[in-house]
Amino acid sequence: MQSESTISAGEIPVSEAARYNESLHEDTTAKLFLVSSITYFFIVGIVALMIAAKFVWPELLGTVQYLTYGRLRPLHVNGMLFGWLLAADMGLMYYVVPRLCGVKLWSEKLGVATAALWNFIILGAVVSTIMGWNQGWEYAELPMFLDVLVVIAWVMFGANIFMTVANRKYTQMYVTIWYCLGTILWTAFVYLTGNFAALFATGVNQANLNWMYVHNAVGLIFTPVGLAIAYYFIPKVSNSPLHSHKLSMIGFWSLAFVYVWTGAHHMIHGPISQWLQTIAIVFSVMLLVPVWAVVYNFFATMRGQWDQMRDNVPLKFLMSGVVFYLLTCFQGPMHSLRSVNAIVSKTDWIPGHAHMAVLGAFSFFAIAGCYYVVPRIFRRKLYSDSLANWSFWLFLIGGVGFFVTLWLGGFWQGWQWNNPAIPFIDTVIALQPVWIVRFFSGVLMFGGIATFAYNILATMVGSGTESTKMAAATA
Amino acid sequence: MLHKADYSAPFFVAAALILFFIGGLLTTVVPPIVDKSWARPFDNSDPAKGVTGKLQPYTEQQLKGRAVYVREGCWYCHTQQTRTLLADTKRSGWRGVDAPISTPDEFVYDSPHLFGTKRTGPDLSRVGGKYDEQWHRAHFRNPRDLVPGSIMPPYPWIAGNEEEFQALVAYLQTLGRAKNWRPDNDYER
Repeated sequence: MQSESTISAGEIPVSEAARYNESLHEDTTAKLFLVSSITYFFIVGIVALMIAAKFVWPELLGTVQYLTYGRLRPLHVNGMLFGWLLAADMGLMYYVVPRLCGVKLWSEKLGVATAALWNFIILGAVVSTIMGWNQGWEYAELPMFLDVLVVIAWVMFGANIFMTVANRKYTQMYVTIWYCLGTILWTAFVYLTGNFAALFATGVNQANLNWMYVHNAVGLIFTPVGLAIAYYFIPKVSNSPLHSHKLSMIGFWSLAFVYVWTGAHHMIHGPISQWLQTIAIVFSVMLLVPVWAVVYNFFATMRGQWDQMRDNVPLKFLMSGVVFYLLTCFQGPMHSLRSVNAIVSKTDWIPGHAHMAVLGAFSFFAIAGCYYVVPRIFRRKLYSDSLANWSFWLFLIGGVGFFVTLWLGGFWQGWQWNNPAIPFIDTVIALQPVWIVRFFSGVLMFGGIATFAYNILATMVGSGTESTKMAAATA
Repeated sequence: MLHKADYSAPFFVAAALILFFIGGLLTTVVPPIVDKSWARPFDNSDPAKGVTGKLQPYTEQQLKGRAVYVREGCWYCHTQQTRTLLADTKRSGWRGVDAPISTPDEFVYDSPHLFGTKRTGPDLSRVGGKYDEQWHRAHFRNPRDLVPGSIMPPYPWIAGNEEEFQALVAYLQTLGRAKNWRPDNDYER
């Protein structure tokens, strides 16, 4: 497909955004979401280091009931998923969708109220996880009153975005809008299943609903909203038109159909019907279709533009994110195969895999979005380009160190478990060196978070640079 | 065909939801209807049909102990499933006897379910009857006193709270005992 033919009104963000006055957009909601999400990224990053340290020094903070691993892990997971990543994604959607529609956000007031409610939810999540008010479901730990508030906040977010899309000036909806609308719709049902429908089931039935939610929290919340961001910012940041509309369609619509079937692959070899495991395996392997369609589209968009990777920090984050997305979504289908699963399931391989998805792919996309958007909506220059570059390399080296160490360690652990002659405790002791490397990789990643957060917050308050008025269109 | 979804938001919404709900309903609503064993408590008195036993509902004390297990997040590091893997049946086993694999009918009274996704510590699906109360008290006070090299956190506030401790141990002793695969009161030292 010829790349020129893909430029059409409303479809490609590159030329469109420059056409009208940026001052059309107020962006208050986007600012509030971004500033709070980046703050949580930093705070929860400290919690992440604490729990990584507990693997190496199990006595650390061990006598404080509220700071044990069992309390801090749900704080880490919920804080990173909902406090940082989803909030940053929502903030970026509040920025991107009005621009792709050529109109103002439907209601800035509703957006500000959503941001306030979201912050209340996250603070509630911090308190309840530390206090041990835990529902006992992974990713759905938060107590019922917070679940209800999440639903309300999601309806507020969805209404705002849908009304903006309904009022759009450009008739054709760009891929980013598909993924954003898909996220809003699917998340609603996935969240209701995991947090409310599961109440009416027990045992394996409940587990099945729980895994449908857990898996699709990644597959139908963070994947589509992350791809929404990548589809907007990769062409935008590299100033290159998207390669293929047809591939975008294949990627999106196959994702819509395939992802939801795969929940039971969390129970392979476990006490759940074998035929359901087989269905989950078949559809897990089919996930290669939406993933490879999307990844090929991004790589082809970059054809002839790779030299830009030298000094374009958002592009570095985006394209490394695409590589991590490709890898993590190759691992996923492979893990679901019974033979591979018998080795890696329940081992330290799995957090290596999960972090590559949520940090390596989707957080990298969100970070790129923040680096691009924050200087524009605050109309200031980025505080420091070299600090931004530092943050990329800290994230990349720390991240790769973390992922690779846990894969190797987890694979080794799985082999040991499959030999019952090795006492379990020996398989724990054997992993100590792995956990030490993981901790120090985590320190590097936290360095990435700290430099990123400092750079963005310093840009917001305008310290260090003269606040040059920056026209977004000049980029 | 789906080109229309580029221009029409209502068409887009309908298509996105229909595709989602095909798999959504077939994998969540349909399976418990097809596989009745998900909801039927384990009950077998005929040795010819395999291991015997009967799943009992939890007592009030056991439920209290289960709540402690949930609150402290034990399930983040301990799975509760003896999988269809030879190594799992041997690791969950007792004095050379392989443990039976976990089946859906053993978990009918579980809410929240505690199957778990990560084995930082050993699987607990057959731990009931393995250690006595004294062992658990020492272990919760400081796991490394009994298991050098363990990275489990100490839980002095459980070991020192008689009501919670008794409840938690009562719950742990039920794990894996619906299937009559090992004798009572034969603890490891």
